[in-house]
Amino acid sequence: MSAIAPFDGFGLGLRRTHYADFLDGEVEVDFVEAISENYMVEGGKPLRVLEQVREKHPVILHGVSMSIGSAQGLDDDHLSRLRALADRIDPLWVSDHLCWTRTSAHNSHDLLPLPLTREALDAVCANIDRAQDALGRPMLFENPSSYLTFPEDEMAEWEFLSEMAQRTGCYLLLDINNVYVSAHNHGFSARDYIAGLPLDRVRQIHLAGHEPGEIIIDTHDRAVSGGVWELYADTIAQLGPVATMIERDDKIPPLAELLAELELARSLGRGNAGAIAA
Amino acid sequence: MTDLAQRQVAFLGAILDDEAPLPSGWGDERAPGLAIYRNNYRSSLVEALRSTFERTERLVGEDAFRRAAAHHCIMHPPVGWTLDLAGAGFAETCAELFARDPDVAELAALEWAMHEAFTARNTQPLTTAEFGAACAGFTERQWEGLKLKLVPDLRHVPATYDLVRLWTSLSASNTETEPDLTPLEGARCALVWREDERPVFVIRPAWEGTALASFRKGASFGEVCAALIGTLGEEAAIAEAGAMLARWVGEGLVERLDQ
Repeated sequence: MSAIAPFDGFGLGLRRTHYADFLDGEVEVDFVEAISENYMVEGGKPLRVLEQVREKHPVILHGVSMSIGSAQGLDDDHLSRLRALADRIDPLWVSDHLCWTRTSAHNSHDLLPLPLTREALDAVCANIDRAQDALGRPMLFENPSSYLTFPEDEMAEWEFLSEMAQRTGCYLLLDINNVYVSAHNHGFSARDYIAGLPLDRVRQIHLAGHEPGEIIIDTHDRAVSGGVWELYADTIAQLGPVATMIERDDKIPPLAELLAELELARSLGRGNAGAIAA
Repeated sequence: MTDLAQRQVAFLGAILDDEAPLPSGWGDERAPGLAIYRNNYRSSLVEALRSTFERTERLVGEDAFRRAAAHHCIMHPPVGWTLDLAGAGFAETCAELFARDPDVAELAALEWAMHEAFTARNTQPLTTAEFGAACAGFTERQWEGLKLKLVPDLRHVPATYDLVRLWTSLSASNTETEPDLTPLEGARCALVWREDERPVFVIRPAWEGTALASFRKGASFGEVCAALIGTLGEEAAIAEAGAMLARWVGEGLVERLDQ
C-alpha cells in the first residue's frame, strides 16, 4: 500500500450554496473537501461541478457512510461507487469516520459510536483492510464526537486509534472540535488525547463549531469556538504544518465569512498564537 | 451473531424506537446521550425529506409535513447507504396520510421523479437527424419491430391536477397566492426528464405514460401501437404513436434504437 505524502494547506468543504463561488471565481483555498456520497451518483450537475472544481483545486473525498465499524462488514455497492469516484476525481486522499451507521436491516445515517473493545478494534481493522484493498489506496479515518461511552470499553479512544493505524497502515484525520466535544462530554483531557495519538499518522485536521451545553453537541452550524482554536494552536505547535479545513454543514454563511475564519487557521498555522485573541 | 453485532442491533433499535428499553447493561446516565442520537437520526431524515419535497411541504404546511415525514421514517426506516433514497415511498405515505387530498401524493410523486432525474446517468440522446438516418428505408416490418432505449432520466407519474399550475403556485417566490388545484380533463400524466441539468416536466395524455412504461419493458413500436388501438381507435392510434415518437426524439428522450 502506497504512503500518503504530507500536504500542507488550508481548505473548505464544497457545499451546494457555494457552487457558483467555486466555479465562477478564484477562491483562495489550497484544497476543497467534498462529501463523497453526494457525488457517488450516476450523473447530472453534482458530478459535473465536482469535476470542474477539481480542475482548479486539489480535492479530498470525505465519506459519511462507509460504516467502518459495522460488525456485518462493508457495503459492496458503496465501496465500488467510491472506487469509481476516486478513479474519476484523483483526490489527494479518501477519508471516512471511525464509527458505524447501519446494521443489516437499517441505516441510521448518523455517525454512531463504537464500544472501545478488542472485538470492535478487530472488526474495524478487518473492514479497513478490505476498504483500502478495494480502493487501492490507504485511507484516513476521523476521530468521532460522541455523547455516550459503553460500559464494556476496554481502552481509551486514542489507544484505539493508535492501534488501528498501526495495524492497518491507515492515516488519521484529526477533528479538533470532536476531541474538544468528547473530552467535555466524557471528562477526559483533550490534550492527553492528542498527546496519545501517533501524530506522524495525522494528514489532515478538521475545525468546526459546536453547540455548548451540559452535553456539547457537534453541530457544525456556527463559527469555531475559542477553546477549539486554542487546542488547534497547541496541536499545530506539536504537529507542524498539516492540511487544515473549516467544516460547516448547517446554517452555511456566505463563502467570504468562511474564508475569514480560515484566515485565522492560516495565521495560527504560521505560529501566530496571538491571532486567537485578535 | 457476534457480541458487537448484537450490541449494534440493540443500539439502533433504541434509536429507531423512542419506547425501546435501553440496551442491556446501560444505566440511566446514558439516556441523555441516547436522546441526542435519536434526535440526530430523526432530524436528519426529516431534513432530507424537506429538501426533496419542498413544494409538498408548502402545500400541506410545515407542521403537517413534519408529522408525515416522521411517520414515514418510523414506518420505513432507511435501508440503503445513501440518504438520497430516504424519500423513496414518501408519495405512498402521503397517499395514506392525506387520503382526502390526492393532490398531495400526486405532487410528492412528481417531486420524487424530479429528484431521481436530477442525478440519473448522463447520456447523449439521438438527434432528429440521427433518428431519421437510422430509420430511413425502414420496412413496415422493421417499424413494427422497432424498440427504443429511452434516456435514463425519463419518468412518468399520474396527473389528475394541472401540475404545471400547482408547481408554479407553490414556488418559493410565490408566497401570496393559494395553491392552484385546477383539475385536468381526461386521463393525463406528467413526463419528467432532465434538460440542461435541471429536471423539467410536461403534462401529456395518460396513454403516453403507458407507452413509455411499455417501451421500458421491452415492447416494440408495433406492440405499443396495438395497445393504443384499444384506447384511441386504429386510425388515431397510428397517427398519435407516430407523432409521439417524433416528439420524444425532438425532446431528446430517445437514447438509441434497438431492433
